Amino acid sequence: MFKYIKTAHMACLEKMNGGVLYLMPDIFIKICTLIPLIYMWKAVMASGADIGMSMEQMLTYACVGALLSDMMVVRTQASGWLSEGVLMKLYGRPLSVLGQLFAQTAGRWMPNLALFSLPMALLSPLFGVNLRPASPWFVVSLFLCISLGFAIDILFACLSIKLRNMNWLIDRIRAAIVAILSGTVIPVSLLPLGLAESMKYQPFASLGGATLSIFTGIAEPAGVLRMQAVWNIVLWPAALIIFKKSQEGMVSYRG
Amino acid sequence: MDLLWLLRDTKYAIAAMTADMISNISVVSGVWLIALRFGGIGGMSVDEVLFMMSYSTLVTGLFILFGSGNNIHISRIIGRGQLEHMFMQPNSLKVQLITGGFVPFTGGGNLAVGCILLVISIARLHLRVTPWWILRLIAHLAATMVIIVARSYLVATASFYAPVEAEEISTTAIEGTWQLSTFPLSGMPAFIQVPLLTILPEGLMAWFPALCLLGKPPLNLTEYYPFAYALALALAAKYFFRKGLNYYVTKGSNRYVPYGFRR
Repeated sequence: MFKYIKTAHMACLEKMNGGVLYLMPDIFIKICTLIPLIYMWKAVMASGADIGMSMEQMLTYACVGALLSDMMVVRTQASGWLSEGVLMKLYGRPLSVLGQLFAQTAGRWMPNLALFSLPMALLSPLFGVNLRPASPWFVVSLFLCISLGFAIDILFACLSIKLRNMNWLIDRIRAAIVAILSGTVIPVSLLPLGLAESMKYQPFASLGGATLSIFTGIAEPAGVLRMQAVWNIVLWPAALIIFKKSQEGMVSYRG
Repeated sequence: MDLLWLLRDTKYAIAAMTADMISNISVVSGVWLIALRFGGIGGMSVDEVLFMMSYSTLVTGLFILFGSGNNIHISRIIGRGQLEHMFMQPNSLKVQLITGGFVPFTGGGNLAVGCILLVISIARLHLRVTPWWILRLIAHLAATMVIIVARSYLVATASFYAPVEAEEISTTAIEGTWQLSTFPLSGMPAFIQVPLLTILPEGLMAWFPALCLLGKPPLNLTEYYPFAYALALALAAKYFFRKGLNYYVTKGSNRYVPYGFRR
């Protein structure tokens, strides 16, 4: 376990190789996106539409979704590393490949959490956002969300392997679909045109949107956790089996 | 060359076009779905938000149509030492940068989607489309593109001095703020609207021009404000980019590799 913690630590340091100043433009853009997002939701909720959520819940939903965006929809570097040859290098190390991938991904979350999420969490009361979770089950849900995110990411990486490194295309389509279907842009329960009911049971709905719904108290934890657990049980074995079978098909431009 | 790619690798080219279209539709549909669910945003009706999203899609379409060769993400060319190779070509740098990213066949997908959304929103809004209105639309689109390109070139000046650190600064300036540019600023307080029309011009990417074309220029500003802003930003970008280029041709770059153009 210590080896993976050390790997995560190294990944965190690697992200900060250029210094804290190097990360500042991205942090600045995130802050400049989060604050208008909060006020956009205030303007939207001020219309008085009855949607089963209070303004406070909606602002919390949007804010927590932005602060924990890396964990709400997990994206590893597996697909990008495939074409760069970095994924191949992982096989030469005395650690499991997927373990290294997860550790490196988690390590890379740390600078963002420290430089963006934590300061904005402390400042959020100034914008009228309450960051107290409605239920302690949020922590369990977050863990299941992250776990499911990794499983889905492995499946997309296997798709990249199968399609001979069309990872840029897959990434674009994936980001587009997951953004809407995961409920991180707009809660799944608020999707119009009858999409709310039909999209409730698809696996992406058990990602960030599910965790956020428990955090804000707009959904009962039992049902949400059950759905997340089911999708974890279904997708993890599939991900591991398909990844094992896909390894022989890896093609890389570099090494 | 773009046509050759489409003809020789049709499957991948069509997949790339589809991915671009789906990606852009997803970015704008998030805001539109919110507007649809809540009956509008900040005083803008659902159809007005759709019009704004169609404008945003048109801008994306133009960007992909003319900027697919990193000629707008200019910091990548500078940071990777690829400028040296452009100096060696028998075409001026200006001509190469203007034409290098033109992909009319594979890059026209988003523009087509934007035109379709525009027609739909115009029909739903019962807008009176005259030749003068079309000219105004083209002028606003041109101004928006000038703002995007000028800002990219302005921040890319840093890559002349710090090619490694600033290689992706154009990406941050363009793509990092793309989602913010799809937010309708109507109903937001002035301390949000004003900075997004001055310091970070995301409000000028879709919201402000869309409202001008709908006949409702916001904040009592003149419809010509985006043009004035584009001109000022372009002049600033020209000045600083030229300064950086002069520094570059004097000092050179340690990023140049003679055996290829890609790091």
